[in-house]
Amino acid sequence: MLTIETLQENGHDILFLKGEVDASNSVILDEAITKLVTAGSSSILVDGTGLEYISSAGLGVFMSYLEDFQEKEIDLKIYSLSDRVFEVFKILGLDQLMQIYPDKKTALLA
Amino acid sequence: MIKLPPIHIGKLSLLLAILVWLALLFVDLVRLIGVLNQLESGIAVEFTWILQTLYFICVYGFYKYSINKSSQSDFLNLIWRGASTGIFAVAIFVIIDLFKSSLGQSKLAKDPFLDTFFYHVEFGLITIFVISTALLWQHLILYQKSKRIVKQWQAYEIAMLISMFVVFFDRGNPEYTFFFSLALLGILGTILSANLKWIPYLTFKEKWKSLLFLAIIIFSIAYLIWNTYVSTEDIITPVNLSGSLFILALFWFILVYAVLSFLVTLFNLPTSSVFEQKLTEAINFQRLSQSIQPEENEEEVLDILMDSCMSAAYADAAWLEMTSEEFPDGFTQERFIDRKTREEISELIQHNKTVQDWASEKRPDNLSPITLKVINPKYESLLLVPLVINKSVFGKIVLCKEVRDGFNKEMLNIISTFARQACIAVENHRLLNQAILNERYQEELKIAQRVQKSLLPTQLDHNQNFDICAYSNAADEVGGDYYDTYKLDEDRYVLIIGDVSGKGTSAAFHMSQMKGIFQSLIQLNLSPSDFMIKANSALSKCLERNHFITASIFIINTAQQTICHSRAGHVPTLFHQKSLNKSEYLQIDGLGLGILRNMQYEKHVVEKTFTYQSGDALVLFTDGIVEAKNEKSQQFGFERIRTLLEVYHELSPQEIQTKIIDSLHAFVGGDRLIDDDYSMMVVKFT
Repeated sequence: MLTIETLQENGHDILFLKGEVDASNSVILDEAITKLVTAGSSSILVDGTGLEYISSAGLGVFMSYLEDFQEKEIDLKIYSLSDRVFEVFKILGLDQLMQIYPDKKTALLA
Repeated sequence: MIKLPPIHIGKLSLLLAILVWLALLFVDLVRLIGVLNQLESGIAVEFTWILQTLYFICVYGFYKYSINKSSQSDFLNLIWRGASTGIFAVAIFVIIDLFKSSLGQSKLAKDPFLDTFFYHVEFGLITIFVISTALLWQHLILYQKSKRIVKQWQAYEIAMLISMFVVFFDRGNPEYTFFFSLALLGILGTILSANLKWIPYLTFKEKWKSLLFLAIIIFSIAYLIWNTYVSTEDIITPVNLSGSLFILALFWFILVYAVLSFLVTLFNLPTSSVFEQKLTEAINFQRLSQSIQPEENEEEVLDILMDSCMSAAYADAAWLEMTSEEFPDGFTQERFIDRKTREEISELIQHNKTVQDWASEKRPDNLSPITLKVINPKYESLLLVPLVINKSVFGKIVLCKEVRDGFNKEMLNIISTFARQACIAVENHRLLNQAILNERYQEELKIAQRVQKSLLPTQLDHNQNFDICAYSNAADEVGGDYYDTYKLDEDRYVLIIGDVSGKGTSAAFHMSQMKGIFQSLIQLNLSPSDFMIKANSALSKCLERNHFITASIFIINTAQQTICHSRAGHVPTLFHQKSLNKSEYLQIDGLGLGILRNMQYEKHVVEKTFTYQSGDALVLFTDGIVEAKNEKSQQFGFERIRTLLEVYHELSPQEIQTKIIDSLHAFVGGDRLIDDDYSMMVVKFT
């Protein structure tokens, strides 16, 4: 199960992920991000406080935007990931490519 | 051996009948000579009676055989046979009468020999007519056989047989026995005559024809009776032949049956169209319930349905509207109605409140046809028939009639039955097609599974310096896990384990690409990090944008006892060092393949070389094992695998592998399935 809430705050679009991202629902995450991009968002924050698990399909969604966002100069920051979820990002090496922060405050400052 | 020719019963009985009739004629003529010359001819009267009875039996045998043989149980044919025999008999009678009257008062006219000859001819004809007609009636009576009717008929036949011999007892003088027997046979014949079940099966036209034929038969019977019994001229006949009980009883029977048939047919005329209608409905129903063959089209069923509904309701026009997804523009079929009129009426229907209520019915199963009154120059009443499959309306048939209130309750009932039956046929057809398609997909998947299994090595390359085993299990039919080995030379061996993001068919395709890339690149004698860089650049061109592959590669040099290792985003490999008695995950950075699809990737891959000793072990696996969850949503995790290896490192690779997999299953819970692909490879140095 995955629920996504979006919130706009000081020019940042914040996505609150709750539950698990796997092959069956990674499309929902993809749609949510695409929606923000087409709406012209320039800064997307992903709040991972409620994220319990992310599968390779879920990682694939973030990964697929990497080059795109670099070109369009869109900021994508992830914060407040649990240790277990962060470990998954780290094993794959995404922690070197993506902006991942321990909490919202550090994410906004960076 | 003399071979007897096959006995032809028909011809034989015909021949016998003619011979017996000639004998009868001869005997009576001889007797006549005796009477005229007042001489005793010496021929007993019983002799005539025996010949007469024999003649009856022969004629009966002949007709029984010939009617059974030409058993075209077409009622009209049967009745026509009776009628034609009647016409023939009457014609001969008339000719004889004309001949007699043409003789006038001449001497020949009074000649007793000629009279006797004519009398015998007439007797022969009457016998033929009554027996053949009675046997025809038998066919009609026994059209719908029941045990009771068959018994009744048999009783009547036996009684008739007995009646032939009554003459021997009353010696030609009608007495009480004679009249009593006649009455009894008359009653039996009348009871049998109540069996007229064949009449409703005649069509309207056939009924008219049969009325004509029956009239001819009745007329023939009446004429023959009148000629034989009523207008008796004073002719000298030595023996009374046509006064036989048998002939009289048969006359009564064929007359009663003919008259009853005539009347019943006449009174059935007005209702015959209803019977025909019901018969058509039954046939239509049967056609609708025949399931459609998979290769056939469901439109054929709808065609039959349209025809059936129209004929059941005597509709003047109709059309079919399909609202399913298969026909986005709305599939329509029109019958006796032009497009313009149809659109006009459609418009009227759509704005009708009753229809709107009807169409918004929550449970389409309960929908039944409804009738409507409309104001249209051509049609005044409509019937809407819903077509419901799987609880949703997929179309409707609209029947139009030119008269007001043209649909009654019976029509509604039969039409809704038709519609339901047709819908079942269509639904079955769809389900069957789907089942066949699914079956084919299953077959395809089985093939995919077999092909994919063959992509994983059955023989793992190694030498005496290390033992190795591997295992892989896919969550679906096919999966995205990959492992392989390659022998570079006598001392150098390559191991690889990989995992494609996602699972199922798409993962399986990418896994096979990975196999191709590994098998071709590894031959170039690349270092682990160079291999990853080349593999990344190759995969960048063929992986979908949101897919990636993780992999770990090891080049084992058994001569130098070193391992060179590189990791591309894959879960870390567990290494047990016997000297330290400790298992640890190999810490090395590395980015998954296909994530960075440019030269930048080179910055994110490293390689590391370390040494091993005898007794050390390597456990390579995929994230399916680490992330397998129990019912409390806890993951199996890295720590459990590490502890297991520390405990069981003394065992052989195969045993270590079994221990880990058993423990994994025990953790997840016996019945629960691991919903991801998982694989492992265990190496132990000797």
